[in-house]
Amino acid sequence: MSVPHAAPAPQRRRAGAHKYQAVRAYLVELIENELREGDAIPSERTLTERFGVSRMTVRQALDSLVTDGVLQREQGRGTFVAPSRVDFEMRLTTFAEDARRLGLVPGTRVLAAETLPATPRIAEVLSVAEGAPVHRVQRLRTANGDPFSVETGWIPAALLPDMLADGVPESIYGALRAGGHAPTWGEDTFLAADATDVEAELLGLTGSRAVLRTRRRTFAASGACMYSQACYRGDRYSVVVPLREARPTIVPRSREGAGPETRNQP
Amino acid sequence: MTTDQSIAAAILGALGGVGNVDQIDPCTTRLRSVVKDPSRVDAAALRAVGAYGVMISGHVVQVVVGPHADNVASDLADLM
Repeated sequence: MSVPHAAPAPQRRRAGAHKYQAVRAYLVELIENELREGDAIPSERTLTERFGVSRMTVRQALDSLVTDGVLQREQGRGTFVAPSRVDFEMRLTTFAEDARRLGLVPGTRVLAAETLPATPRIAEVLSVAEGAPVHRVQRLRTANGDPFSVETGWIPAALLPDMLADGVPESIYGALRAGGHAPTWGEDTFLAADATDVEAELLGLTGSRAVLRTRRRTFAASGACMYSQACYRGDRYSVVVPLREARPTIVPRSREGAGPETRNQP
Repeated sequence: MTTDQSIAAAILGALGGVGNVDQIDPCTTRLRSVVKDPSRVDAAALRAVGAYGVMISGHVVQVVVGPHADNVASDLADLM
């Protein structure tokens, strides 16, 4: 990218952006209305000719759709319609994976790591007996060296008895996978809050103390494998939630079509 | 019966049967139901069939079943 130095440059840029938008809009329409998951999209050459644009402009449109997860590239095969976004919604990523995807360098400072008896609350969310041993790990996460979030995780010790033997693993999900308890799904709950004094200090909050708290239960095929609480700086974190149409409400058949209480009415 | 079908039947029974259910909304990992009489809901039975969580609030009963909630919901629709 060169710095615009002549008057017409901004206009050219706008025109380029417009063409790229046109290619993108065409593809989005095509994906929504005609193609199905796994279908190949038209070749770069076809798109170049159809829109009378450079291959670079076509690639820019494709890149943006790959970044958005709408398309996926397969080495040597081409570009295809990505699996539906439901996968995204249930994707379990760790802080390090999230940060790297955003082009940030993740860092971690372990604040606490111990194995202790499960409190009633932790026992319930992890489906273990009260007092059963659980590993508790508290970490400060950084991105490009700046504090980003404080996370506390609890893992049933029965799943990974030696998890803390050599210190805290770089990735707890990684350790769970290696131990045969690969996380497959989970549920996040989000809450808006003000940071506590301790959190504000750890996160280096000097102005606003707004934070986003998350509660996550992570499940492996065998059941709950981790519970985590995290506190993210409100000024550094945003969450994208893919939405889809709600499935129809199920009502007993006897009441279907019986006046106002039919299936698709509120 | 498939596993999901037997789970659906057990969940419906634990919610107090078809007669006790006003509606069920399938979500990605949960079934959110509205029941007539919450006292007829058997939370322990729901957990016993594999629910990862049961939240009861008034007439609303949420059952966390995991990513196969869609399949369970289809089977529930057949049973109701």
